[in-house]
Amino acid sequence: MKVGDVFSYAFGAIRLRKLRAGLTTLGVVIGIAAIVALLSISQGLQVTITDQLQSGFATDTLIVSPGSGGGMFSGVGGGIGGSGSDFSLMVTDTQLINEIEGVVTSAAIIQEVGYIKSGDRTVQAYVVGVDFEVYSEVYGSTFVAESGEILLNPEAGTVVVVVVGKRVSDPWQNGTIVCGVNGSVEIVWTNTTVRPAENKTYAVTVAAVLEEIGGLSLTGPSDSAVYIPISQAQSFFGTDECDRIVVKIANEDDATIEAVSDAIEEAFSGQVSVRSSTAVLNTISSVFSTIELFLAGIAAISLLVAGVGIMNIMIVSLMERTREIGILKALGMKSRTVLAIFISEAVIVGLLGATFGIGLGWVLANVAATIFTGGGIAVATGQGAVSGAFAITPILTPTLLMGAFGFGIAVSVIFAIYPAWRASKLKPVEALRYE
Amino acid sequence: MVLAKPIVETADLKKTYILGKVPVNALRGVNLKVEKGDFLAILGPSGSGKSTLLNMIGALDKPTEGKVFIDGVDVSTLNDNQLADLRRSIGFVFQFFNLIPRLNAIGNVELPMAVSGLGKNERRKHAEELLETVGLKERMKHKPAELSGGERQRVAIARALANNPGFLLMDEPTGNIDSKTAREIMGLVKRLNEDEGVTIIMITHDQQLATQATRIVKMLDGSIIKEIDQL
Repeated sequence: MKVGDVFSYAFGAIRLRKLRAGLTTLGVVIGIAAIVALLSISQGLQVTITDQLQSGFATDTLIVSPGSGGGMFSGVGGGIGGSGSDFSLMVTDTQLINEIEGVVTSAAIIQEVGYIKSGDRTVQAYVVGVDFEVYSEVYGSTFVAESGEILLNPEAGTVVVVVVGKRVSDPWQNGTIVCGVNGSVEIVWTNTTVRPAENKTYAVTVAAVLEEIGGLSLTGPSDSAVYIPISQAQSFFGTDECDRIVVKIANEDDATIEAVSDAIEEAFSGQVSVRSSTAVLNTISSVFSTIELFLAGIAAISLLVAGVGIMNIMIVSLMERTREIGILKALGMKSRTVLAIFISEAVIVGLLGATFGIGLGWVLANVAATIFTGGGIAVATGQGAVSGAFAITPILTPTLLMGAFGFGIAVSVIFAIYPAWRASKLKPVEALRYE
Repeated sequence: MVLAKPIVETADLKKTYILGKVPVNALRGVNLKVEKGDFLAILGPSGSGKSTLLNMIGALDKPTEGKVFIDGVDVSTLNDNQLADLRRSIGFVFQFFNLIPRLNAIGNVELPMAVSGLGKNERRKHAEELLETVGLKERMKHKPAELSGGERQRVAIARALANNPGFLLMDEPTGNIDSKTAREIMGLVKRLNEDEGVTIIMITHDQQLATQATRIVKMLDGSIIKEIDQL
């Protein structure tokens, strides 16, 4: 029997039992829709988050932090990473790093969480001590003033000048400026290393407000930080230790990244961990891959349930059609053609289910994304200083599309194999006698 | 007169069923020869083994002992696929028509040709001719449920003829039809045999019907008890 005839015979059989075939297909539709919706949303989320991170990233930088094998989020917020080691990075360690081949420059960073006080208003912010000159060289695209001027040598004046991030200047994003250029504000920091804990206050003048950076800014300049000159930070926080050192490297080749990383680790006898921004992104990707696998697994279960439904329906259908199979065999149909007819029915169900499922999943993903975006997903950064809403756009990759398609058909066919095999093995004389 | 190879031949054919725990000897050594052009009626009461014999001749079932030769080929040596091929050279007509309900008359007649891999146009043309032969050209778009018993059996006969079979195997072809229509059907069968030279093996319990055939074989309790040549 020709392939086309097998399919049209199978299609005729499906059309005869529209409701039943429809319900069987619905099972596949739901399973595939779940897979497509969950995965396209999570892929969209991954892209959104990666973009947000990258907007604060400079890919030609390395982050050096104390402790071997530090955590990935030891940047802003200061300290999920690190280790129990007694080793500390010093502000002056930049000199050692600058001598390494492939290093353009490096900036030590001291960071604490404090408050900015202006009149009755208080805004939580990261207080970050950096060398303005070096820092603006490392983050040339993000450490840029929107208003005012970043004085590259701020210690020359008698007044302590600071640079504030956009979210510190305008924390509610409605034009209520807490601290604008030339404004006088106080930085409040609680020293918890002494007993009793001591509040330290520091009067400063705002020299510049940074352009909005956006994103989560795990390692680079942040909208939620106030930048003070490193020497001021040292005396204010009473320490010569720094939280991390940002290193600008000559280029972003993997070889350079690796060579410089190794050289820095060696220079500190393995007491520091060096991470590249790219590595952080890779870690995030791999976390997302795991999440996607998990979501796909959940969705796949619903598809397996659909598969069991297909098998169930086909066995019932097989009983109803025993006589028909007997007739077909008496007319000279080969067992493998009977098998092919039943498998074709499953292929048709799978094909329809996958097609409608992908469509439905895509619609669901977009509806969900709209609801999320409308409501605003608050993503807490660091220690909850600021939260931002961002839009998720579901992404349907060709891999996901083909995968969903293939999976839908494969599940239908796999669960149809047993009933189809049973149908093909029916003995004609017994099948014809079947009432 | 030189006899060609018989189209169907059985040699000491035996079939034993196990019904529950009791063995039932449905066939107890049947020897039968059917020549090309024969119109053979196998006559016997129910339980005489005639349906079992028909299943053996139609390659639908396998004997317990003995052999069946169809066109000289020993059926017992054939595998599943070869049996399927063999069945295409046999035209089955059943008591309960056994048409596919969702296919219309012409669809049913086309089916064996589709199974044989014939192209769409070719089989449609042949199916139309066959339906014309059985006098149903006007009703070829009707589904079995929209046809009378007699019409259904005509469709079934047209279907049986679709692959130009070596012989027709008919199992009580008029058993489910009123007597007037039955006579018409028998007229058609007779015409096929006489005019077209189609070999026909028909089983029936109806003495009257059997007289239409050129040969009658009487069966009882799994054995042939009498053979009547009516020529």
